[in-house]
Amino acid sequence: MTLVLIAMIGALLIPMIEALRDDDIWQRMLAFASIATKTSVMILVIALLQDDRMMALVGVIILSVGNAALMLLAQIIRRVNDVMEG
Amino acid sequence: MVNFLSYTCIVVGLVFWYWGTWPLLGQRSVLYKLHGLSVADTLGSMAIIVGLLLRIPQEWPLLVLALISLAIWNTVLGYVLAYCSTEDRGYDG
Repeated sequence: MTLVLIAMIGALLIPMIEALRDDDIWQRMLAFASIATKTSVMILVIALLQDDRMMALVGVIILSVGNAALMLLAQIIRRVNDVMEG
Repeated sequence: MVNFLSYTCIVVGLVFWYWGTWPLLGQRSVLYKLHGLSVADTLGSMAIIVGLLLRIPQEWPLLVLALISLAIWNTVLGYVLAYCSTEDRGYDG
Protein backbone atom coordinates (compact mmCIF):
# COMPACT_ATOMS: atom_id res chain seq x y z
CA MET A 1 0.00 0.00 0.00
CA THR A 2 3.01 2.27 0.38
CA LEU A 3 3.48 2.24 -3.38
CA VAL A 4 -0.19 3.18 -3.79
CA LEU A 5 0.27 6.16 -1.45
CA ILE A 6 3.42 7.28 -3.28
CA ALA A 7 1.50 7.10 -6.57
CA MET A 8 -1.30 9.14 -4.99
CA ILE A 9 1.17 11.80 -3.86
CA GLY A 10 2.52 11.85 -7.40
CA ALA A 11 -0.98 12.40 -8.76
CA LEU A 12 -1.40 15.22 -6.24
CA LEU A 13 1.71 17.03 -7.46
CA ILE A 14 0.35 17.54 -10.99
CA PRO A 15 -2.45 19.98 -10.02
CA MET A 16 -0.06 21.71 -7.63
CA ILE A 17 2.35 22.38 -10.50
CA GLU A 18 -0.58 23.62 -12.59
CA ALA A 19 -1.77 25.94 -9.80
CA LEU A 20 1.73 27.42 -9.43
CA ARG A 21 2.28 27.84 -13.14
CA ASP A 22 -0.98 29.19 -14.51
CA ASP A 23 -2.21 32.75 -13.94
CA ASP A 24 -5.81 32.28 -15.13
CA ILE A 25 -8.08 32.15 -12.07
CA TRP A 26 -10.31 29.42 -13.50
CA GLN A 27 -7.40 27.13 -14.35
CA ARG A 28 -6.27 27.57 -10.77
CA MET A 29 -9.75 26.81 -9.46
CA LEU A 30 -9.66 23.55 -11.44
CA ALA A 31 -6.34 22.67 -9.87
CA PHE A 32 -7.59 23.47 -6.37
CA ALA A 33 -10.75 21.40 -6.91
CA SER A 34 -8.60 18.47 -7.94
CA ILE A 35 -6.25 18.95 -4.98
CA ALA A 36 -9.20 19.09 -2.57
CA THR A 37 -10.70 15.82 -3.80
CA LYS A 38 -7.40 13.99 -3.91
CA THR A 39 -6.28 15.06 -0.47
CA SER A 40 -9.56 14.06 1.14
CA VAL A 41 -9.46 10.63 -0.51
CA MET A 42 -5.87 10.25 0.67
CA ILE A 43 -6.89 11.14 4.23
CA LEU A 44 -9.56 8.46 3.98
CA VAL A 45 -7.13 5.83 2.70
CA ILE A 46 -4.45 6.56 5.31
CA ALA A 47 -6.98 6.74 8.14
CA LEU A 48 -8.53 3.38 7.29
CA LEU A 49 -5.14 1.74 6.91
CA GLN A 50 -4.23 3.05 10.36
CA ASP A 51 -7.64 1.83 11.60
CA ASP A 52 -8.42 5.36 12.84
CA ARG A 53 -12.16 5.91 12.42
CA MET A 54 -12.22 9.53 13.53
CA MET A 55 -9.62 10.61 10.99
CA ALA A 56 -11.55 8.76 8.28
CA LEU A 57 -14.65 10.71 9.28
CA VAL A 58 -12.65 13.93 8.97
CA GLY A 59 -11.69 12.86 5.45
CA VAL A 60 -15.33 12.38 4.50
CA ILE A 61 -16.33 15.71 6.02
CA ILE A 62 -13.53 17.49 4.13
CA LEU A 63 -14.79 15.84 0.96
CA SER A 64 -18.18 17.49 1.36
CA VAL A 65 -17.26 20.82 2.97
CA GLY A 66 -14.18 21.36 0.83
CA ASN A 67 -16.13 21.10 -2.40
CA ALA A 68 -18.91 23.27 -1.00
CA ALA A 69 -16.40 26.00 -0.15
CA LEU A 70 -14.96 25.85 -3.67
CA MET A 71 -18.44 26.30 -5.10
CA LEU A 72 -19.00 29.43 -3.01
CA LEU A 73 -15.59 30.75 -4.03
CA ALA A 74 -16.45 30.20 -7.69
CA GLN A 75 -19.68 32.17 -7.29
CA ILE A 76 -17.81 35.03 -5.58
CA ILE A 77 -15.18 35.15 -8.34
CA ARG A 78 -17.95 35.21 -10.96
CA ARG A 79 -19.72 38.13 -9.25
CA VAL A 80 -16.46 40.04 -8.79
CA ASN A 81 -15.72 39.57 -12.49
CA ASP A 82 -19.17 40.91 -13.31
CA VAL A 83 -18.62 43.99 -11.15
CA MET A 84 -15.16 44.60 -12.62
CA GLU A 85 -16.48 44.30 -16.20
CA GLY A 86 -19.77 46.18 -15.49
CA MET B 1 -8.80 -13.15 -4.09
CA VAL B 2 -10.49 -10.23 -2.30
CA ASN B 3 -7.06 -8.69 -1.75
CA PHE B 4 -6.35 -8.95 -5.48
CA LEU B 5 -9.73 -7.38 -6.34
CA SER B 6 -9.09 -4.61 -3.83
CA TYR B 7 -5.72 -3.77 -5.31
CA THR B 8 -7.20 -3.90 -8.84
CA CYS B 9 -9.86 -1.35 -7.91
CA ILE B 10 -7.29 0.93 -6.27
CA VAL B 11 -4.94 0.74 -9.25
CA VAL B 12 -7.83 1.44 -11.66
CA GLY B 13 -8.69 4.45 -9.52
CA LEU B 14 -5.11 5.69 -9.68
CA VAL B 15 -5.05 5.26 -13.47
CA PHE B 16 -8.21 7.31 -13.65
CA TRP B 17 -6.60 10.00 -11.47
CA TYR B 18 -3.55 10.29 -13.67
CA TRP B 19 -5.61 10.14 -16.88
CA GLY B 20 -7.81 13.02 -15.75
CA THR B 21 -5.12 15.13 -14.15
CA TRP B 22 -2.47 14.92 -16.86
CA PRO B 23 -4.26 17.29 -19.32
CA LEU B 24 -4.21 19.99 -16.61
CA LEU B 25 -0.61 20.75 -17.57
CA GLY B 26 -1.57 21.35 -21.22
CA GLN B 27 -2.85 24.55 -22.85
CA ARG B 28 -6.44 23.43 -23.50
CA SER B 29 -9.54 25.39 -22.49
CA VAL B 30 -10.98 25.41 -18.96
CA LEU B 31 -14.07 23.41 -19.97
CA TYR B 32 -12.03 20.74 -21.73
CA LYS B 33 -9.85 20.23 -18.68
CA LEU B 34 -12.83 20.43 -16.34
CA HIS B 35 -14.66 17.65 -18.14
CA GLY B 36 -11.74 15.22 -18.00
CA LEU B 37 -10.90 16.22 -14.46
CA SER B 38 -14.36 15.92 -12.93
CA VAL B 39 -15.01 12.57 -14.60
CA ALA B 40 -11.63 11.14 -13.69
CA ASP B 41 -11.52 12.51 -10.13
CA THR B 42 -15.01 11.29 -9.35
CA LEU B 43 -14.71 7.84 -10.90
CA GLY B 44 -11.13 7.38 -9.80
CA SER B 45 -11.88 8.29 -6.22
CA MET B 46 -14.95 6.05 -6.22
CA ALA B 47 -12.88 3.12 -7.53
CA ILE B 48 -10.32 3.69 -4.77
CA ILE B 49 -13.05 3.78 -2.15
CA VAL B 50 -14.61 0.57 -3.51
CA GLY B 51 -11.15 -0.97 -3.28
CA LEU B 52 -11.03 0.11 0.37
CA LEU B 53 -14.54 -1.28 0.91
CA LEU B 54 -13.38 -4.70 -0.29
CA ARG B 55 -10.36 -4.54 1.99
CA ILE B 56 -12.10 -3.22 5.13
CA PRO B 57 -15.79 -4.27 4.95
CA GLN B 58 -16.59 -3.40 8.56
CA GLU B 59 -16.16 0.31 7.79
CA TRP B 60 -18.92 0.21 5.21
CA PRO B 61 -21.07 3.03 6.68
CA LEU B 62 -18.23 5.53 6.43
CA LEU B 63 -17.20 4.41 2.96
CA VAL B 64 -20.75 4.45 1.60
CA LEU B 65 -21.07 8.00 2.99
CA ALA B 66 -17.85 8.93 1.19
CA LEU B 67 -19.13 7.38 -2.06
CA ILE B 68 -22.41 9.30 -1.88
CA SER B 69 -20.78 12.62 -1.02
CA LEU B 70 -18.22 12.11 -3.79
CA ALA B 71 -20.89 11.35 -6.35
CA ILE B 72 -22.96 14.38 -5.38
CA TRP B 73 -20.43 17.02 -4.46
CA ASN B 74 -17.86 16.40 -7.15
CA THR B 75 -20.46 16.41 -9.88
CA VAL B 76 -22.12 19.58 -8.63
CA LEU B 77 -18.73 21.26 -8.19
CA GLY B 78 -17.90 20.48 -11.81
CA TYR B 79 -21.21 22.02 -12.89
CA VAL B 80 -20.74 25.15 -10.77
CA LEU B 81 -17.18 25.67 -12.04
CA ALA B 82 -18.37 25.27 -15.64
CA TYR B 83 -21.28 27.67 -15.08
CA CYS B 84 -19.14 30.31 -13.36
CA SER B 85 -16.22 30.18 -15.77
CA THR B 86 -18.24 30.63 -18.97
CA GLU B 87 -18.30 34.27 -20.14
CA ASP B 88 -21.71 34.75 -21.77
CA ARG B 89 -24.00 34.38 -18.77
CA GLY B 90 -26.99 36.48 -17.88
CA TYR B 91 -26.66 38.17 -14.50
CA ASP B 92 -29.56 36.70 -12.51
CA GLY B 93 -28.90 38.92 -9.47
